[in-house]
Amino acid sequence: MSPTAQAINVETHDIELALPARAENVAIVRHAFGALGEAYELTEQMLSDLRLAVTEACTNVVLHAYPEDVEGPLEVSASIAEDQLTVVVRDHGRGITPRPDSPGLGLGLPLIASLADTVQLGRDEAGHTEVRMGFSLRHLGESPSGGQE
Amino acid sequence: MSESGAGEREIDSFAANSALLRVGTGTLAGPLLTRVVGMMLARAECPVDRLDDAMLICDALGAHACAQSADGHIEFTVHTRSGSMELRVGALAAGGAQRLIQATSLPGVGAVLEPIADQVRVEKSATGPGEELVLDLGFGRRASQASPNGTRSAPGEPAAGGPADQSLPD
Repeated sequence: MSPTAQAINVETHDIELALPARAENVAIVRHAFGALGEAYELTEQMLSDLRLAVTEACTNVVLHAYPEDVEGPLEVSASIAEDQLTVVVRDHGRGITPRPDSPGLGLGLPLIASLADTVQLGRDEAGHTEVRMGFSLRHLGESPSGGQE
Repeated sequence: MSESGAGEREIDSFAANSALLRVGTGTLAGPLLTRVVGMMLARAECPVDRLDDAMLICDALGAHACAQSADGHIEFTVHTRSGSMELRVGALAAGGAQRLIQATSLPGVGAVLEPIADQVRVEKSATGPGEELVLDLGFGRRASQASPNGTRSAPGEPAAGGPADQSLPD
């Protein structure tokens, strides 16, 4: 086990951040995860992969979750248990559906899947759409992405 | 932490420039709060000296708020408006707000929150038992507590007035 993983196992914290689903707030989430990574002494590459995946998931919420004239929440939570970091990005929008008129390239979810060890798309008990990403803290820094953003 | 999502109540009535941060007791509160508040104040065009003041408040609250938690978690709710920010800290145990104010006092310096913030008040929690500490921080035409030569005045001294009194960042 790496020193980082050992350190993370000592303390377990949960965080949850809720913001209006606006493009500028994605930067706040990204910045907050920077603090999370620093607090737990994640390696640069681990943190880079984590932030990229979270950024993609949040961007999906901003772009696709709500109709243009409707503002809704963007919720991000993170919890650490043993060697697993679980990040959930949630919205109260219309769910994940095929969108032929999508303004994006459709690379978000594949990118998340390549960065996270596990990805689950679904709904929580309240019916809110969520993307649940699991990151093995033992292997996060070994992703083939090389931490490039 | 509930999986149903923190901020269920707050989000429904979210203003455009609001954020809710909920953290478990531990060392993450300070680093996360300073990042979130820093970003929001920067976006609100807060002067750098007042931004520095806000970071000091966040550090102090982050270091001590969790010890006064009513349920093992602390919620920080941030609202920025034109020229001001409101920061709510809750839910605190009964008497926790006053204990938090006292805990953030520095030896030889005294209270930190009250001299820096424009207003510090205690309110009953809107969501259940416990109370909230509410801080208002203005950064419009009101100058910070800094002298013209760039040194910070002692807490408790009256705030200086006028844009010329804004200090360089520490």
